[in-house]
Amino acid sequence: MRVPLSWLRDYVDVDVDLAVLAERLTLLGMEVEAIERWGAAWRSVVVGELLTVERHPRADRLSLTTVTIGSGEPLRIVCGATNIAPGQRVPVALPGAVLPGDRRIERTEKMGIASEGMLCSGDELQLTTDADGILILPPETPLGVDLSDLYGDIVLDVDVKPNRGDALSLIGLAREVSAVTGAPVRHPTVEIVETDPGVADRLRVIVDEPGLCTRFVGRWVTGVRVGPSPDLVQMRLRAAGMRPVSNVVDASNYVMLELGKPTHAFDARAVRDGTIVVRLARHGERLETLDHVVRELDPETLIIADPTGPIGIAGVMGGAGSEVADDTTDVIVESAIFDPVSIRRTGQRYALRSEASLRFEKGQDVPAARVGADRVASLIVAWSGGSVLRGRVDTDPREPGPSRVAFRPSRIERLLGTARAADEQRALLARVGVGTEVAPAGTPVVVAIGTDPLIVEPGVDTLVASVPTWRRDIVIEADVAEEIARVGGYDTVPTRTPETLMPSFRPSPLGVRDAVREALVGAGLTEVLTHALVSPRSAADFPWPDDAEIPSGEEPSGGTVITVRNPLSQQHSVLRQHLPASLLEILAANERHGAERVAIFEAGKGYAAEGGRAREWWRLAFLLAGPADPPAWNRPARPADLDDAKAVVELVAERLGLGRVAFTADRRGNPFHPGRAARVRAVLPESGGPRAVGLVTAPGDLALSGHVAELHPAVAAAWEVRAPRVLVAELAIAGLAGGSLAAPRARALPRFQSVERDLAVVVGDGVTAAAVLATAGRAAGDLLQDLRLFDVYQGAPLAPDERSLAIHLVLQAADRTLTDAEVDGVVATVTDALAAELGGRIRT
Amino acid sequence: MDLGTMTAQLERLRSDALDAVATAADPAALDAAQLAFLGRKGAITELLRGIGRLPAEDRPRMGAVGNEVREAVEAAVSERSRDLRGAALIARLAAEAVDVTTPGRRIARGTRHPIAETIAAIDEVFGRFGFVVYEGPEVEDDVTNFQMLNIPADHPARDLWDTLYVDIPDHLLRTHTSPGQIRVMRETRPPIRALLPGRCFRYEAVDASHGFEFFQVEGLMVDEGTSLADLKGLLEEFGHALFGVGRATRFRPGYYPFTEPSVAFDVGCVVCDGSGCPACGRTGWMTILGAGMVHPVVLRNGGIDPERYQGFAFGMGVERIAMLRHGVHDLRLFMENDLRFLEQFR
Repeated sequence: MRVPLSWLRDYVDVDVDLAVLAERLTLLGMEVEAIERWGAAWRSVVVGELLTVERHPRADRLSLTTVTIGSGEPLRIVCGATNIAPGQRVPVALPGAVLPGDRRIERTEKMGIASEGMLCSGDELQLTTDADGILILPPETPLGVDLSDLYGDIVLDVDVKPNRGDALSLIGLAREVSAVTGAPVRHPTVEIVETDPGVADRLRVIVDEPGLCTRFVGRWVTGVRVGPSPDLVQMRLRAAGMRPVSNVVDASNYVMLELGKPTHAFDARAVRDGTIVVRLARHGERLETLDHVVRELDPETLIIADPTGPIGIAGVMGGAGSEVADDTTDVIVESAIFDPVSIRRTGQRYALRSEASLRFEKGQDVPAARVGADRVASLIVAWSGGSVLRGRVDTDPREPGPSRVAFRPSRIERLLGTARAADEQRALLARVGVGTEVAPAGTPVVVAIGTDPLIVEPGVDTLVASVPTWRRDIVIEADVAEEIARVGGYDTVPTRTPETLMPSFRPSPLGVRDAVREALVGAGLTEVLTHALVSPRSAADFPWPDDAEIPSGEEPSGGTVITVRNPLSQQHSVLRQHLPASLLEILAANERHGAERVAIFEAGKGYAAEGGRAREWWRLAFLLAGPADPPAWNRPARPADLDDAKAVVELVAERLGLGRVAFTADRRGNPFHPGRAARVRAVLPESGGPRAVGLVTAPGDLALSGHVAELHPAVAAAWEVRAPRVLVAELAIAGLAGGSLAAPRARALPRFQSVERDLAVVVGDGVTAAAVLATAGRAAGDLLQDLRLFDVYQGAPLAPDERSLAIHLVLQAADRTLTDAEVDGVVATVTDALAAELGGRIRT
Repeated sequence: MDLGTMTAQLERLRSDALDAVATAADPAALDAAQLAFLGRKGAITELLRGIGRLPAEDRPRMGAVGNEVREAVEAAVSERSRDLRGAALIARLAAEAVDVTTPGRRIARGTRHPIAETIAAIDEVFGRFGFVVYEGPEVEDDVTNFQMLNIPADHPARDLWDTLYVDIPDHLLRTHTSPGQIRVMRETRPPIRALLPGRCFRYEAVDASHGFEFFQVEGLMVDEGTSLADLKGLLEEFGHALFGVGRATRFRPGYYPFTEPSVAFDVGCVVCDGSGCPACGRTGWMTILGAGMVHPVVLRNGGIDPERYQGFAFGMGVERIAMLRHGVHDLRLFMENDLRFLEQFR
């Protein structure tokens, strides 16, 4: 709400410093977002008097004038306007002046005659809309005075919250100023001279929808002469952000800003039979609105109609056909109360919100319908002549009195944590026009309203607040509390550190996520946060598999994609189901900035719809591209490959105390490199764990699963990635959605020596390392403490289809040092098993 | 050979041996010298083998001399050996000298995202006051996101949240973390101290201070006597924790349908410290969060008796806090994930 200070002063004295006023309004809840100096754009524009006006000797359309500005020699100024005459006082832009729009005025020559400045129109000064004529100032305007001193103004831009529709008006903000300063509020006086016949002879109003139009007040002004409003009115409207239109329309807008009451003026000629019908639109009805858009009306739209059809959309915008025109003589003033919800829905359906509809949406003060109609009618007469027909048409003249809200001062003290006596609370309420009295015995207190209201029996100290009709926001006890806190000042609320009971301990649902994040950051990966809203293309172009078995307690991926019905752009119109595509985009963007080594991860959600509900699941994704290690002069660069990515998976598993990660080949291809992709599984180990807490608790339960792969080169190319190899993974992890980690369990250190043996096993190249390790592990039995692959060899003297896998066994018993015979026995068992199950032979 | 001759020869060998040991240039030469004199076929060993042919009365004497010579040579060898090894070590160390001014072999280290880090910092402050973390869904229903929070359909306050709707009936992308208040109240009983971090969405054109996806942290505290004064005290502590002890704080009226009274919480401008600058619109203050006493209707919707219990809630935009803490001027940087930006938060 833009508040010109000079206009505000019509309703309340403002004697405090502007900055102080702005701060105190802000602290009262009426945040002053900006203080604008209106007219600050005029420099060196002063008041002058025309001494002579003659025709320019060489140009018929120009005048040659002499102007005095009260001191110095008269100025010779060439002017193109025709509304000027000697003796008039006018705005003179001197050479060097600056006008709105940063327009600079210099000494110029016009058709051979020097012009020492310029006479200004209201439009050039952005004071009025008149661009044709020079702005003629009142004859008593002092000569030589800077125009900004006369017409400059200060405009406060106040952020009025949606619950305070009453403050979307100058009178409402004057009340707030009054609450701050104690200065009384001056209401505008409405004086109407009425003439016969009575309005009822001319105007009939039929409300078909009394639920949507609870009151309709009509006035009729006859004999108007439509023209521009007085300059002062135009200036005020402009400063407040509205465009002056005509004296009739401006009267309506002026009252809307003054009282917060939207009204509408119809040209009476366009209202057939003087009959206004407030009804819902019918199928197929159309209306050209004031913005000259022809709109199809739907049957949910409340309209103003005459017997022939719609003439306005109620509370939102009038029709072009009934617009007040230059030759309008009779005006019907509509001042109605419409249902806020209906107006809001209509505005949204037609994407048409007006200053009027914004006010209707917030609810209207019932008596204001009558006051507004009278005020508009009186201003029309004052500005455009004519007279007001006797009486009003009023569909429901009942006007409620102040509402009564019971409250308990002691309860308010408990809520605010302040210590203010009841009398002090009553004094604060009085400053905003809320009267108080001791509640009659048995007055109940409304604690909560709505679908499930709570009304309690009164205590001994109950008071009743008498709330003015315009304060529709004060309904329950808590509203009274806010009013007391607000007027008393939030700065007077004491500061206390909470001392009440503490809730019982609850493990953080971020535990597992935080542990994984820390491990990955420590390993050189950088965390990213990317958009959950993605392009519908990304899932099609990067089809991440949904077939992984998921740890129990975690949500499986896959399902119907959730689409945004009103997206900002196609680029961000669906909720993603997988994270790697987002990481790939981040890789491509960083490569464009010259990044070579990209190692990033994100813990984020996937989303899908199922049976009218949404499912969401947490996943960890990471991506590696470029050198495996940060560049260093003393280390050759080595491109990251699948083994680096697998190591990241193993690191995560280790951090969570899981067992060995099992990788199995995934040859599906797209989006993976068909020969370099693996499914991943890790389970809770027999001992040492479990570390992850969630629904996964038993040893052997699946705790981590997903895919780790080198990206298919075609997918990488589609994303315009430069790195020759891109490694990606997405993992489901037990506890990622809300688990935390248990403390690791320590094991006793072995008291006896372990024995180590290395074996090189030659197998066919179709036999995987996982198979060799699994067979060896199984055969070695309980004495096996550790089993690792430490070398892979292919080449002479082996056959071309053979590989040698070297494994390292650590054997140990808890209760003795193993003998050579025992160790040899285990090795023989392993060797036999490798031979029998995998056709392996020991290389010596 | 008689005693005299043998003694003379032995003394000559001693002298030769000591010379050879002393002049051995390296461990190999020393080993050779040792072998030449004291080895199984060494000169001294050979000579002493002749003791048996001496007269019996001379043998002890010659044996004593022989041992003395052998021990002397052995002592010389071991001393020379020590010297030579020391020299070799010194030579090796000299040869191994490097330019110590070169940088080390870099160890990889990533960074946490500044938004995640800021959430962690916020969690830590409120964690000290006993607040525990909860999370809620991001695809919410209209009832929980709005209606339960005292924002009925077609309420003008809905203009405060431009909403992205999804193709599940009556569902939307949560516009704030506030629906978590309802979920927490229904899940637990007072005393409640809950913190709800998470991702939120709005229909909002992207610019330097707005995004259509962003993060919020919501707080909720409910008990019998939890008052506006408690909220004020807690937020003041929070302001000091994140923006420095002694940072000015300000409480002023705000508006949210789900709190009554409602609060806007300001801290002294982190750029100008309150003297007024373009960053704070020359007011000296920056608003960092909205808060208020939980509306009785909301408590009731959460299954809590608003006559017995009362409490407060607050909600803050994590990006805003992070921007002020780290001097970031464009919110878009957080979701662009340019590594040159992220790596500044090591």
